[in-house]
Amino acid sequence: MTTISTDLSQSPPAGNSPSLIEKMALSKRQYEETGHYKGIDQLRLKQTDHFRYERVWAELRGALVSARETALHISASPIVRNIGELCFALYTPEGDSVVVSTGIITHVHTMSEGIKYMISQAYEDSPGIKEGDIFCNNDPTLGNVHTTDVHTIIPLFYEGELIGWAGGVAHQVDIGAGTPGHDPVASANRYEDGFYVTCEKVGSNHQLHKDWQIRAGLSTRTPVYWALDEKCRIAGCYIVKEALDRVIASEGIDYVRQFMDEAVEEGRQIFLARIKERLVPGIYETASFFDAPYADKAWHPEARIDYLMHAPLTLTIGAGGQFHMSMDGASAPVPMPFNASEGSMQGALWVLLTQTLIYDGKVNDGAYLAAGHNFPAGTWCNAQDHSLAYGSPWAFLIPSFTGLFRLLSRGYFARGFREEIVTGYGFTGDPLQGGGFLADGKTYFPVSNFELCAVGLGARGTMDGLDAAYAMWNPEADMGDAEVWETIESGLLYLSRRYKPDTAGYGRYRGGSGWEALRYVHGVQALQLYSFREGRVFHGGAGLYGGYPNSADYKVRVHNTNMAQLAAARKPYPLGEADPSDSELERLVQGEFLRTNEGMMFPEAFGDGDLFLSLFSGGPGYGDPLERDPQSVARDVLGHVYLPETAERAFGVVVRTSGDEMVVDEAATKTARENLRLRRSARAVSYEEFYARERELITTGQLSSPVRQMYQQSMHLSPSWAAKFKQFWNLPDTFSL
Amino acid sequence: MPQHTGTPVILALDAGGTMTDAFVVDDTGSFTIGKAQTTPHDESLGVVESFRDALHYWDVTAEQAGPHLRAVVYSGTSMLNRLLERTSDERIGVIVTAGMEDYLQLERSVQTYAGYAYSDRLHVVTHIHNEPLVPRARIKGVRGRVSFFGEEVLPLYADEAKEAVNSLLDQSVTAIVVSLLYSYRDPSHEQEVAKIAAEVMASRGVDIPVIVSSTSTPVRGDLARLNTLLVEVYAARPSRRQLQAVGERLHSELDSTAAVRVLTSYGGTVSPDHESLVSTLVSGPIGGILGARRLAELYETSNVICSDVGGTSFDVGLISERQVATRTEPTVARFLLAIPTIAMDSIGAGTGTRVRVDPAVRRVTLGPDSAGSRLGMSWEPGGESVPSITDCDLVLGYLNPDYFLGGSVDLDPDRARKAILEQLAKPLGSSNVEETALGVVRLLETEMRDHLMGMILGMGYAPENYQMFAYGGGGPLHAAGYVGSLEFQAVRVPSWAAAFSAFGCACADYTYRYDRSVDILVPPAGSREQVLGLLRQTWSELEQRILADAARDGIDPKEVNIVPSVRMQYFGMLDDLEVQVSSQSGDAEQVIAQMMVDFDSLFEKIFARAAKSPESGYFLTKAIAVGTYPTEKPVIPEFVLGSKTPSSSAEKSSRKVFEGSWREARIYEMDELTSGNVIAGPAVVEAPATTFYVPTGYQATLDRFRVFELTRS
Repeated sequence: MTTISTDLSQSPPAGNSPSLIEKMALSKRQYEETGHYKGIDQLRLKQTDHFRYERVWAELRGALVSARETALHISASPIVRNIGELCFALYTPEGDSVVVSTGIITHVHTMSEGIKYMISQAYEDSPGIKEGDIFCNNDPTLGNVHTTDVHTIIPLFYEGELIGWAGGVAHQVDIGAGTPGHDPVASANRYEDGFYVTCEKVGSNHQLHKDWQIRAGLSTRTPVYWALDEKCRIAGCYIVKEALDRVIASEGIDYVRQFMDEAVEEGRQIFLARIKERLVPGIYETASFFDAPYADKAWHPEARIDYLMHAPLTLTIGAGGQFHMSMDGASAPVPMPFNASEGSMQGALWVLLTQTLIYDGKVNDGAYLAAGHNFPAGTWCNAQDHSLAYGSPWAFLIPSFTGLFRLLSRGYFARGFREEIVTGYGFTGDPLQGGGFLADGKTYFPVSNFELCAVGLGARGTMDGLDAAYAMWNPEADMGDAEVWETIESGLLYLSRRYKPDTAGYGRYRGGSGWEALRYVHGVQALQLYSFREGRVFHGGAGLYGGYPNSADYKVRVHNTNMAQLAAARKPYPLGEADPSDSELERLVQGEFLRTNEGMMFPEAFGDGDLFLSLFSGGPGYGDPLERDPQSVARDVLGHVYLPETAERAFGVVVRTSGDEMVVDEAATKTARENLRLRRSARAVSYEEFYARERELITTGQLSSPVRQMYQQSMHLSPSWAAKFKQFWNLPDTFSL
Repeated sequence: MPQHTGTPVILALDAGGTMTDAFVVDDTGSFTIGKAQTTPHDESLGVVESFRDALHYWDVTAEQAGPHLRAVVYSGTSMLNRLLERTSDERIGVIVTAGMEDYLQLERSVQTYAGYAYSDRLHVVTHIHNEPLVPRARIKGVRGRVSFFGEEVLPLYADEAKEAVNSLLDQSVTAIVVSLLYSYRDPSHEQEVAKIAAEVMASRGVDIPVIVSSTSTPVRGDLARLNTLLVEVYAARPSRRQLQAVGERLHSELDSTAAVRVLTSYGGTVSPDHESLVSTLVSGPIGGILGARRLAELYETSNVICSDVGGTSFDVGLISERQVATRTEPTVARFLLAIPTIAMDSIGAGTGTRVRVDPAVRRVTLGPDSAGSRLGMSWEPGGESVPSITDCDLVLGYLNPDYFLGGSVDLDPDRARKAILEQLAKPLGSSNVEETALGVVRLLETEMRDHLMGMILGMGYAPENYQMFAYGGGGPLHAAGYVGSLEFQAVRVPSWAAAFSAFGCACADYTYRYDRSVDILVPPAGSREQVLGLLRQTWSELEQRILADAARDGIDPKEVNIVPSVRMQYFGMLDDLEVQVSSQSGDAEQVIAQMMVDFDSLFEKIFARAAKSPESGYFLTKAIAVGTYPTEKPVIPEFVLGSKTPSSSAEKSSRKVFEGSWREARIYEMDELTSGNVIAGPAVVEAPATTFYVPTGYQATLDRFRVFELTRS
């Protein structure tokens, strides 16, 4: 059968090519009408010569991987170089990704949105799309996640006709926002988010425009990093271009055009097949939350509220592998930098799926087409208001997607793929950010390193979570060497990097442990620091099947310390705070202690001798902690994952030290576990009783203010969610909070 | 084989976990290969047995040969195995900067997926921490901090150091490793700890080694540096006695006076007495590069791409402008290490690579796992349940089922055919076994070609700049395939491809290399005197160490050729490149300017021209000195070119091979071919250890060095 795409693949005579707008509209219509990318219902190339098709795939993929490898060496920012926050992709003329490199895969679809925006805005007419043009974008309302992720996109031509796009993205250490760093907490609107580039043409004839280079150089606090990272993205895009030229030379332009389209459609089909294989059809539901207690700290009057983010998540799996996720019922946007655009939510969906369902690397925008989703307009997860702040959408996005891991894990459990289960992950908030000048008063140093990418992974279905080695947005975590970070953050010395007890969620399999780093301010003229982590309570990481969530953050810093006197007298100085209830910090050092039971901290001035404790999250647990092997608990205590009293209180395991070892007191453990079970029984109520009690809280309005507002927003923004809520709690239609 | 007349002079050893291979070269360049079981309790026994086995083909006894040996080069996997299996008897105690005691538990995260294939790097449930080499209880912290600028910000707490040493000694440690933050900038804290340790040990009457990072590995990067010291003590040093014993036994039993040398990862050899034996941890694939460098001299070529097809992996290395690129932070056995290592990139694609069709999405996946020594379905005793590349090669007629490893292993083509049909062809909707097998082999070769291309482009070159050498057991079989349409200057397949790595080992010189982090900023303008002064001071220190090593090994210091170099980067970037310094004497302005010019041109080649960024200055990360002392190398014999037509005794038979359609291929015995012979494809040249496939449209000419040149006819 002849498909429409076959016609398209035949090069029309020059000058009569359909415009990109027409192509994009046609592609969209074909997909809507047929359910197949560009209406391709037969994978003709693959069927005709399976191995030729695979070879072309391998060649393009190889080129993208080597583009990234080469570009990594050019990049300056430690975030790109050490952590690999960089990726490249090849797109169809309509902006759909065909093949992607390794790296931070979140962005493969975000750049796609940028290309589609340029097409829809008729960039072909103005400012024109020509061979040698270079475009830049970092606008979260056009697909990006936050402004610190910067995209470089170049159009690819063959004999004068646009045949695709190459794009590269790299994360910046600073984007010239109101406060230094990459995940701001204080901004309340777009105008404080920093340097905005909205799909701008920044180069032509393969050269960056001089005026652009000047403007960009003046727009961030770290112009050298900006310039080098831009060079690295451009270099990578050109490697992709050269690879495509080589494949065209060997396979012919017609084959390559058809290949690009079929590969997208195949990506869609592969995704459906994988879902069908791994998950049981049905409707899966959960909800995640995140609190932003800003009433006492926001700089802007409108932001002085205590806000609770609501992320209800419904996943519907069809018998044929159809996938649809919905955040219907999400709460409202905020005057804080935590709003997310639809593109960033799509990116998050993408990055999670590639870690658990489609990890073989044969992934492209076909999977995106197949992964149906609803991020309701007007909510925090698709605010559709460009004037809002989008500097740190991760605050809401990271917790909200823990729900997806939980739901997929239930599906894996039902299908018997127990080893695929992951309960969730810790919150990769950035507990230490800012910037300052060294004592010479001239040398600026950014504080925004990426050790935050090493948080705890949630417990797995067959083993504990991974300790201190996971980031939801990049599975290839690297906390980096202290000696490398201090080359940049030279005014902040590490006094420790060590496991933080009691950060891991309890469970039969426990969550991965979190950790802490104590930093010592030295040799600075000026320094401001702030912290981006969860509020007092929620971080999304609920446990699964009886497992507990990981702990929430708290903040402690000490100003004007007596560290110098301690050192002169060789008296022990603190290395952290393993047990806040018996604080090593407070025992050993004197100074002005600032301590809060929440992770958010607005910019604060620091000077020589001050101390700052950074905490990194653990992951949630799996199964009942009373079923955990007592020997494993003893090992946890020995390894500083739990305090001995926690072992007893949460796991019912009594341990004591014996030389280098930690041994289990079997008899005491038996008693402790029996007592814990008895205490549970004493507290237990029937479901009916529980339901009645909770319902009464709702009907009598006994909700705290943030909770009440959250439900009000969800009910107001989504009548369907409101109806579901009322039905569940058996409330009259007229009910309101 | 003709009557042997030469005198054996070189013995190169490759001691694997199971077998020890001996490669013996005589003074005419002829060689013979022997095998014996590895004897882990005393490796010298297996070495002598393997030597005897090799010599028996020449009808020479080891006792006759021993006195004539001029060089013995060892490479082996015993250190690596000790590390992988965690079987060392060493009880190491560690002293680090206080607060950093969790190094081995945290592993910088990056070691939790180190060595994984890409899909598993993404697939997060597979990530796991490694079993630490030292338990947390034997890692002690001592307060004190030195900054990046080398400033003592917090003094060393001597009492804590004393307590740490005592505590470790109480735990009966066998060695103490000390690695403090920024000790390479200011070693005084480490020196103080070492002094305290010496005092404590003296007072307790204990004498164990204390290894400090500022002496043995003075480079930036705290985890890799600590790992390097640990692996040195845990896995490398326990082999020192074994290596010394090899020399002793060769001397006492066979009257050999040749010094035993061990191959390093940076491509030279050192004596077993060398302080940093960890540099010999990984040397296996390095041998091939050294062999290629030797061949490159014969062919008077500067750029060679070396491709080694083994059972489990495809290793590629480059010689560019006669230089072999070196990396300084390799990952070995899932440890980040700070040891200079010849740059080799490997992918999990070899003859044993397992082939599957993903049932859900109907796509072929190659590996990344491998049947390895279990070969594939065609070898029933291997117990494999999935077809491999070898199975595909067999059904395509490229491999001879009755002559695999010289006939010592019987392969069953029917088992291979059945497995390919059931597991690959049918799931892809085909019933054609050969078409499927050919598709698989071509896909594998495409992946290999992409890998080659990535490496060449990554060095800023094009295939046209390179000659390609193909070796390893599977290199000759797949060379034509993975070269494909790439236009190399020449494609060469040595007739001794299967033993090429051992040959390369035998070519290695004495080489002492020392690196030291310097962290010197060279601003765009300003005096260069101070910069060069600092460099000269560092080079001089490194030179002294090299000369001391040479003296220890009985080498005349005057005969050692010492070359200084630096690793440098544009200021702001984080990745450095190595630049040889042609002359460090003369005007500072000129010396530094030349370094910048050389770096610019290297950078421009490797990366995009547009990325050159000299505007903020340069940053010198490391000073390096390499001292080389040439040693006895195999002579590569030169033969007179004879007839183009192989002798009738060389052509054994013919066999059908599948290249899209069945063709009749001539089958030759490699040993019977003589220099000048031209083999026209389709043809298969068989030898006991390897098979060389010449497809239709190609021809192979055996040249005067007994190296085949593969060309399109």
